[in-house]
Amino acid sequence: MNDTPKIKQISFMTFISKANHYVLSIIVIGFTVLFCFPLSGSQGYHLVSFILLFVVSVLATFMSIGPILLASALSSLVWNFFFIPPHYTLHIESTEDILMFGMFFTIALVNGVLTTRVRKQERLARSREERANALFQLTKELSKASGTSEILHVATQEIKKHFAVDPSFILQDGNNHLPAFDQVQKEADLLSRDDFLMAKWVFEYSQKAGKFTNTLSSHENTCYPLKGSRLNPGVLMVKHTRPPAGDKIIFWNTFLTQISNSLEREFLEELAKKARFLDESDRLYKTLFNSISHELRIPVSTIIGASDTLLNGDHSENTRSALYNEILSASVRLNRLIENLLNMSRLESGRLSVRLDWYDIHDLVNKVTEDLKDEIKPFTLVVEVPEDMPLVWIDFGLMEQVLYNLLYNACQHAPATSDISLNICHRNSELIIEILDRGPGFSEEALRNVFKKFFRVENSKAGGLGLGLSIVKGFIEAHKGSVSVENRKDRGAKFTIRIPSELVNEKIAT
Amino acid sequence: MNEKETILIIDDELPIRRLLEITLSASGYKVIHSPTGREGLIDAATHHPSLIILDLGLPDADGKEILKKLREWFFKPVIILSVRDSEDEIIAALDNGANDYLTKPFRSGELLARIRATIRSSEKKKDDPVLEFGTLSIDILNHITKKNNEVLKLTSTEFSLLQLLARNQGRVLTHQYILKEIWGYGYLEQTQYLRVFVAQLRKKIEDNPSKPKLLITESGIGYRFGE
Repeated sequence: MNDTPKIKQISFMTFISKANHYVLSIIVIGFTVLFCFPLSGSQGYHLVSFILLFVVSVLATFMSIGPILLASALSSLVWNFFFIPPHYTLHIESTEDILMFGMFFTIALVNGVLTTRVRKQERLARSREERANALFQLTKELSKASGTSEILHVATQEIKKHFAVDPSFILQDGNNHLPAFDQVQKEADLLSRDDFLMAKWVFEYSQKAGKFTNTLSSHENTCYPLKGSRLNPGVLMVKHTRPPAGDKIIFWNTFLTQISNSLEREFLEELAKKARFLDESDRLYKTLFNSISHELRIPVSTIIGASDTLLNGDHSENTRSALYNEILSASVRLNRLIENLLNMSRLESGRLSVRLDWYDIHDLVNKVTEDLKDEIKPFTLVVEVPEDMPLVWIDFGLMEQVLYNLLYNACQHAPATSDISLNICHRNSELIIEILDRGPGFSEEALRNVFKKFFRVENSKAGGLGLGLSIVKGFIEAHKGSVSVENRKDRGAKFTIRIPSELVNEKIAT
Repeated sequence: MNEKETILIIDDELPIRRLLEITLSASGYKVIHSPTGREGLIDAATHHPSLIILDLGLPDADGKEILKKLREWFFKPVIILSVRDSEDEIIAALDNGANDYLTKPFRSGELLARIRATIRSSEKKKDDPVLEFGTLSIDILNHITKKNNEVLKLTSTEFSLLQLLARNQGRVLTHQYILKEIWGYGYLEQTQYLRVFVAQLRKKIEDNPSKPKLLITESGIGYRFGE
């Protein structure tokens, strides 16, 4: 950060040296001459020459070559004019003094030039160190940055800091193309169509273009390709006031290479992630296909078999009715499968719309127990709802599926004639629904995974795709609620649903 | 069964039409069917069916549009067939004059029961001052409701609600329709009013309020008065 004023300071100093150092050297030499006048009488003019040489040396420590040349020439002339006899002429009488004058001029010149050169070397060394530091800083910041946007942020900051220009980046879309103009403009609305076309050219040919280059040099901006070793992440566009020159070009190019490398690394990582994701979805797809075809085949075989038997042959009334029942239950099973698949796809696609409204929880319980009356028949269903149960704020259709799936599961796993309990209450602005059964409960592993898609308890007698509970979870979460499962102390499983539901705040007149 | 009852099926799916024809013919109805909405309208005009079964998902026209056109001159019952999860469509169809709805897949027993109930209630005299449902009797003229010959104390809103549903027995009334009829246009979103009053009414008129037989909930859609 504190490097920015330094750049300004240097340019300020150069400016001073360009114009005012000449004036300054004249003034300094003038004052020295005034100071030496009284001395020259008593100490002789040789001392004056030493004083003048000293002053020129001092000036050389902070002035550049031009003013020093002026100071050397001026000091030898004034020394000659004011102090070497005869005074107030440039004429020198003694040969010794001519020699002295020549030596004075040479010493002053060499002294000044050498000092300036040493200073230049030092300045170069310092700026080299500064650049090395800047690069180190850039590399450090880039390695810390994660994600394209952070890298771009760091790169922009560092370029602003060291080059005093505001860069804009256009990155490729991951398929080795620059995105469309409209899309680019959305992010950097200052970009003109011409700039974009130049960027496209630069990206395609991996060559810089624009102002201060050989291509499209009439443009206001300059565009540089960001080159990587395996792919080119994109291009960078800046508005240079001056072309980078000398060392600065190398510095600039190194900067770009660093930024390109970081972006490339990010792009490659993204590609790898995509490949992994495709693998994963491929696996899911296969699981889905296998289990769906398996699950479909069972009821379909039943239906084909039973109807075929019915069509071919004379059967007793009992056999016929048994076969009809088989067909019906297989169809119901098929239908449930389709329902679950549809629900899952609604959840997966993110198109699930939750239509919340006030409902009487009794209606929900009635609807579900009515739909499941055949399944529930072998059990004792104990429903407990407090007398003063308020209306609840839910999506009826979704909650119907939730309750259906949970009760259906309980019926599949609980031993016949056992109790299945359904406890519903409203506590602390939450609708709480508990479903308890006396089935085998769940293993540790199953407790962790039971809400995951396609998870099925090992050796389960009930068929299905393993979607029921993940649908339950999805629908409950669509209500901003939660569902959990635990084993009961004395055998059985307990599912608990919690859904935030305020009370109807308005008093309804009866 | 009355031989003369004619039912028109408007559905584009052949297996469904075939199944309905077999089922309905076996129950003694005369069945006509049309695969498109346009043909359905012509058949309705030429055959004067006692009831129309209309699929909402027709290929040539929106089922709701067909229903609107039908309702310009056809006043006999219409039962809507629809897929699940299309409550909005069902509600719109009911508000446009459909009497009842069934979601696919449905059981034929259910369909037959709905057809019978719909035809019967459409033939019932609407201006009967006393409506009788089993042990419940509603004297609309004198605002007296009796259950097992005992007079029930109903508030005026409860009575209006009961009377509205009872008069339209067998027909599904949507939430919005009921709210509009009883409370007015300003209350179309106030479903909680309806829930509270239905719960109160059930406690008074049902034999077992938690297993209602009269005030039946059509989930996400509305209420129907059963018997």
